[in-house]
Amino acid sequence: MRDAQIVEAVLFASDAPLGPEEIARADDTLDEDSVEAAVRALRAEYLESDRAFEIVRIAGGYQLLTRPEYAPYLDRFDTIPRPTRLSGPALEALAIIAYRQPIGRVEIEYIRGVGSTGVIRTLQDRGLVAVVGRGEGIGRPLLYGTTPQFLEHFGFDSIDDLPRPETLPVILKEPSESAFRAEDSQSASGAGPVARISPG
Amino acid sequence: MHAPSSSAEPGMFIVEIDDFEGPLDLLLHLIREQDIDVVDIPVSRITRQFLEVIEALDLDSAGEFLEMAATLVRIKAQLLLPRPAGEPGEDPRAELVRRLLEYEQVRVVSHRLRSAEAERIRRLAKGFFPLRPAPRAEEAPLETTWDELLVAAVGVAVQGGDERGHHVPRLLVSLEEKVDLILAALEEARRVEFGRLVRSSPGRVHGVMTLLAGLELSRERRVRLRQSRYFHELWICRPEAEDNRARGDEQSAVGSEP
Repeated sequence: MRDAQIVEAVLFASDAPLGPEEIARADDTLDEDSVEAAVRALRAEYLESDRAFEIVRIAGGYQLLTRPEYAPYLDRFDTIPRPTRLSGPALEALAIIAYRQPIGRVEIEYIRGVGSTGVIRTLQDRGLVAVVGRGEGIGRPLLYGTTPQFLEHFGFDSIDDLPRPETLPVILKEPSESAFRAEDSQSASGAGPVARISPG
Repeated sequence: MHAPSSSAEPGMFIVEIDDFEGPLDLLLHLIREQDIDVVDIPVSRITRQFLEVIEALDLDSAGEFLEMAATLVRIKAQLLLPRPAGEPGEDPRAELVRRLLEYEQVRVVSHRLRSAEAERIRRLAKGFFPLRPAPRAEEAPLETTWDELLVAAVGVAVQGGDERGHHVPRLLVSLEEKVDLILAALEEARRVEFGRLVRSSPGRVHGVMTLLAGLELSRERRVRLRQSRYFHELWICRPEAEDNRARGDEQSAVGSEP
């Protein structure tokens, strides 16, 4: 029996992405390298024989997924479960959490300019974000971060698949730096005629 | 200047608030629509336009918009104030500009997430196919008459109409009644056990009203309440009985137990 067939069987039977180290557990002869080699072989095979599915790298693992061009046919089956799309506000909050994690609710709301309790709850219920710790400061606020399901939902392999912060004009990465500070007033204390709205 | 509607005054914007995720979104929209340099916002004009937009709002749902309006007005005022000469200060708009740029980034990223999501949804994992529901039967034409419908409706209403309400009878127990009860008991004896008064008419309402009556009389100094220790029998005494309290343990006040 070929390594590739074992790997294929595991991928076929799984309904979530599996990392190479997990797939390797299928047999003592397998290790991460041989799993990767088997995946490469299977990919070539699928491409060659023009299969309707392919092995996709998602959330640090591999998963068998249908190719996008078959979506119109599958769309006709309203019984096929598929994830529902997120609302605009949910995507906003998720974008903030993804870049700034770990981050608390108050900070999220300050960046969005609107209350976000419900939206965060929705993201939690869908397993896309989770509480990852508590912050310093008053009340030790809950801090949120993204989960592996977040990567799965968007088809990302890792958080690095998000647009690189360097490619974004400013700020998302740097919480409290003002790009427009007058040269002589470097203090971030908010003293002076600063239009500072305190979070919360 | 951009004016989407011909009926609009120059510089006035017609916007649907539902189109905006929040005040920053609206602000950004006003700025971008007019090709305004975000680091040099004409605060006066933007504030006026912003207020025009939120004026059309139901204020209850617009707290965040109002907060932003207040911020704009404050920045406008700060810009008007003369700044001490030679004293370098931050542009009052700086924090707002920073927030706007940051929010714009959030919008960019969430749009990218949106398209990543759309791409991902086009790929399906090996899923569980539940049995398809049987094809829907042809829609039968409605052959029921209004009379039949009425009978059916009335029939249901009669069947289920009874026994549905849950009636909570209001117990009429007056404070005065209990005050009289206590005073009458104290006519006969110098002191009376609270428990005995309550046992004469069981029920929580009676107990509560008797206690309230006792407290009221005590406040008016017409009776004295005595209890030897917590959760022990409560005694209601004539006021002059105070002099005799050394006689019985049960008459010593709470807190002075041995």
